[in-house]
Amino acid sequence: MKIVLADDSRVMRQIVIRTLRQAGYTGHEILEAENGREAVDLVHREGPDLVLSDWNMPEMSGIDALSSLRGSGCNVPFGFVTSEGSDGMRERAALAGAAFLIAKPFTPEAFQEALAGFLGG
Amino acid sequence: MSSLLFESSRDDLEMLVGEVWSSHVDDRDGLEPAAPHPWSAEAGAATTPCWSGAVSVTGLWQALIAVDLAEPSAHALARGMLGLDEGEEPNRTDLGDAVGELANIVGGNVKSLMPGHHDLSLPVVANTLLEGATELLPQIVLDLAWRGEPVRVRVLALPPSSSHHDQFPEVSE
Repeated sequence: MKIVLADDSRVMRQIVIRTLRQAGYTGHEILEAENGREAVDLVHREGPDLVLSDWNMPEMSGIDALSSLRGSGCNVPFGFVTSEGSDGMRERAALAGAAFLIAKPFTPEAFQEALAGFLGG
Repeated sequence: MSSLLFESSRDDLEMLVGEVWSSHVDDRDGLEPAAPHPWSAEAGAATTPCWSGAVSVTGLWQALIAVDLAEPSAHALARGMLGLDEGEEPNRTDLGDAVGELANIVGGNVKSLMPGHHDLSLPVVANTLLEGATELLPQIVLDLAWRGEPVRVRVLALPPSSSHHDQFPEVSE
């Protein structure tokens, strides 16, 4: 499966990729984006099966990227991986159409719990 | 008016930072409480070569959350977060990225402890000590050590009686 991974931190993208592997999700193609704008472009160009996105990014935030995708009729499963995991942020994410929100710091188990319905067990 | 107080305890913050460390930096050697380290020349000692990362929180609560790491700790942090071997040296871009992401995770979690809507800035990173604007007062300062080197986490905020600022609290080197 194809996953778009958006985070302005290369270090965090590496951590997410490592955590996906530790959670047992291997063999998937990861397409990296440095901001929401790049993520939206990648989604339209590559048609991924899932988007994992940071919230707070330069150029375009994760929530704006999600709104842009939904506004264009794209319903790709979209989940946040963000340091802001309050109830308020989870509510905003859900209202915008996000499937889940994984809060940093996270564990492989948190990824398994969130992604099982999208990437299989 | 800034009308909120940061009411979480040192223990809450210490637990949060410890969780960040064990999840993303080092699951073997944890952070230990330590005596305050003289980070700046003003403290009467030579300046410690260090990296600082900081994020601002704006809203009813105006704050700056900063993490300070001695130079060797910043290198080890980047190695840990990137999964590099002990002998591998991260480049400056990755060093700044790792310190900034650490500030972002800690700051985002601190922001989540405050009721109401707040905005979180992108991280600011410097290869020197970052100071908050003078009107920001320390709410909690965690003096820690990791592998024998100093690490510090600061939560600075406007006192409740201060005037409201529309912009992010200033950061200076």
